[in-house]
This record gives sequence, structure tokens and C-alpha cells, in this order.
Amino acid sequence: MDHLALLLWHALLVSVFFAFLWRQTAKGRRNLFLRTFLIMVIGGVLLGWLMYPFP
Amino acid sequence: MREKSKKAKATQGDGGNEQKASPMVLAAAWFIPGAGHWILGKKVRAAVFAAVVVSAFVTGILLQGELGTPKPQNPFSWLATFACFGNGILYLTRMTWLNGVGGFLAGIPFDLQGGGNPSVAGFAYGNTFLYTAGLMNLLTVLDVSDIARGEKS
Repeated sequence: MDHLALLLWHALLVSVFFAFLWRQTAKGRRNLFLRTFLIMVIGGVLLGWLMYPFP
Repeated sequence: MREKSKKAKATQGDGGNEQKASPMVLAAAWFIPGAGHWILGKKVRAAVFAAVVVSAFVTGILLQGELGTPKPQNPFSWLATFACFGNGILYLTRMTWLNGVGGFLAGIPFDLQGGGNPSVAGFAYGNTFLYTAGLMNLLTVLDVSDIARGEKS
């Protein structure tokens, strides 16, 4: 099981959901989707690296 | 009590025609993901929400996640139950699948099996997907309420 794939899949689902929940226009949805998706993926990977030294 | 109800009436009276969301529409929105938006004519959003919630739920099940069930020794299990119960028919179907109809009804609240396998690597991930799916579906219920009351298009 690829953990990164699961992270991407989860981020994709949540980002699509909130893009359609909070924005009405195609442009607004695209922007929110990209922002949310990137924050979740990059933030998740960064947090993973920050936690790396801890047992 | 009378003063309170008078105040409430007065507050409503100012607006005059304050709309309320039909309980049946809200129940449908919870029970079948996307149904509330579909009833209100928001068919694209309905399809997207249904696809997202069902995909997250199925992923959670495939990863051997456990549906939240109340446990007397663990108060936080009620939060997990609330989140998973948000999945509506998906939750009820899975619980019936795991416990049987009789077992499901007889097991409420503390003797229910939520499935899943804690020894596999995907267990925690599966739980996360199941909770997320339920909470997203509950958010769609609030969205349906906003749309029905005219606060959102």
C-alpha cells in the first residue's frame, strides 16, 4: 500500500468536495481546488518530514 | 417561557416570510449522499457530492477501516460513531452487513461490530476515510439547509 497515493487520493476527494461546496463558479472552484489540494499534499509531506526524527 | 416564545415570534415576524428547510429534504440529504441537492435541482453538485462521499466510504472499507460504534469504556467512540453515522444509508447498510438485521437492532448501542482489522497497515487510513466521508455528508446537509432557506444559491 502506497501511503503517498492514499494522501493524494484523500486530498483529491476533500479538495473536490470543498471546491463544490464553497464556490459557485468554475474559476472559483478550480482555484480553491488547487489551493486546498496543494496545501494538503505539501503540508502532509512536510509534516511527515518534520516528524521523522521523533520515535 | 411565554416571553421567550413572544420574542421568537417577534424575531420571525420582522422577516415575515422566513423560509425553513423541509425536514424530509434534510433527512434525504443525510440518508442518500447527494439526494438533498438533487431534490433542490442542484444536480451537478449532487452528483459530485455523492461520488466523493461514496468513493471515500468505499476506500475506507477496502482499507479495512472500522465504522465507529459506541463503546462504554471509550467516550471518544461516540464522536467516531457520530462521524460515521453521517454516511447515512452507507453506514446502515454496512452495519447490517456486519451484524445482520437482528444483531444490528439487538446490539444497539454497545454491542455492535464496526468491522475492520486493526492489524493491517491500512486500518487507521481506512478509519480516516470513513470519518471524512461521514463528516462531508453532514456538511452537505447543512448546505442543503442553506440553499432551501435561500441563504445560498
